[in-house]
Amino acid sequence: MSRRAKIFTGLGLYLAGIVVLVLLTGSAGKNEEFQPQNEFKLEPWVDLPGPFDINKAVVYVIAAAVLTVFAMIYIARRMQDRPNRVQTLVETVYTVMRDNITRNNMDATMAARWFPFIATLFLFIWISNLIGYIPLPTNTEHPVHIFGLEIPALAIYAATANLSVPLVLALVVFIAYTVEGLRAKGPIGYLKALVPKGVTGGMAVFIFVLELISNVLRLISLSVRLFANILAGHLIILFMAGGIAVLMGIAAIGFLTLPLGVILFIFEVGLVATLQAFIFATLASIYFGGAVAHDH
Amino acid sequence: MFDSVFILAAAAAAEEEEGGSFLVQPDIGLMVWTLLAFAISGFLLKKYAFPQIAEALDRRQRVIEDSLETAARTRAEAEVLLEEYRERLTAAREQAEAILARARRAAETSEQETVAAAKARREELLAQAKRDIEAETRRAIQDIRNEVADLTILATEKVTRKTLTEADQRRLVEETLAELDFSALAGEGSRA
Repeated sequence: MSRRAKIFTGLGLYLAGIVVLVLLTGSAGKNEEFQPQNEFKLEPWVDLPGPFDINKAVVYVIAAAVLTVFAMIYIARRMQDRPNRVQTLVETVYTVMRDNITRNNMDATMAARWFPFIATLFLFIWISNLIGYIPLPTNTEHPVHIFGLEIPALAIYAATANLSVPLVLALVVFIAYTVEGLRAKGPIGYLKALVPKGVTGGMAVFIFVLELISNVLRLISLSVRLFANILAGHLIILFMAGGIAVLMGIAAIGFLTLPLGVILFIFEVGLVATLQAFIFATLASIYFGGAVAHDH
Repeated sequence: MFDSVFILAAAAAAEEEEGGSFLVQPDIGLMVWTLLAFAISGFLLKKYAFPQIAEALDRRQRVIEDSLETAARTRAEAEVLLEEYRERLTAAREQAEAILARARRAAETSEQETVAAAKARREELLAQAKRDIEAETRRAIQDIRNEVADLTILATEKVTRKTLTEADQRRLVEETLAELDFSALAGEGSRA
């Protein structure tokens, strides 16, 4: 059997398995009560004045910040000439942040000035994404009772799966690179540089407006890319790990979706978490480089 | 990604009926918290983590560069040294060959001299021996001649009963004997 035939046979058996399970066990009826998106709902945990209530997302953001800072400072203070594995990893990450993300996209002075910002951006998002895949007792909507104690159910949640977090980071990036661009070229020069050299007349006006819009849209694209990827990853893991079985009222389907859930989990942790952080930091870096570059 | 589109659509759909708008609605409080956490992290990392890591990396790079430089220098030195030794070795070999050649020549000369000397000595000894033999032969012939003369005189006396004077007799015998050839006795050397 060729590889293609094997794959199709496997998929066929898999689908047939689902159908057989559905037919054998039947449905307990469509579940109207379970709202998967409520996994991402932010209930205030600690009431503070104004909008500053501490909720799940705030805890995750602070946890990510604390973890990033402590891990990095801990390792930075123990830098050895002959590094162990952890130090090697941190050094590799540092080198990627410095050379690939920052220096590749801006000139040397800009890179020196903005490296700490870009690196913090990458690390903060990366750690945020990663701790988002650790199951923690954060689900207060569905508590479990152990010896009479009400304990929040284990759940995976990520601060970056909430639009506000990437949005505020994108906003900071937008303001910072715009300020840099204005400082490098002056207000008029900066606006002029939005139009490529050699374009004149009506076309220049059109492109100017387009570039202006695209600059503002970067806010959306930068933040939504990260937010949607992480949210989608979490939701699809949730569905595969049992969400579909609950929604459809067919528990047996869980047997077939769980392996997919595990595969998707590995995919999200191993690739998406890092890749999205990398993309966010790299794009920010490119925006900085573009804002001050003279030859457009 | 296809799943993100799907989820967004699902989220938008949910928004209408169940109020899932919280998914895409910016939350000012969370944004401020995030900004705060991010700013403090950035400040701390910039102050306490990045410079230290950069310094360690630079230090390692310096060490590596130094090591490479030292290695290159040591290698160059070693090569110079090797070249020097090689030259010295060649010189030594040449010298050794020269010495050997000279010794061989000296030995050959010495041998030739020895052989020549031995030959000369042998020839001298041979000549001496020949001379001795000849002298001895001559003396023996003379003795025989004298003996024969005496015997002849004695025999003649007995036959003739007449005695010539000793001197005459001897002269006669000598004359006779001189006619005889004793050369057969003396061999070739007698004639000399």
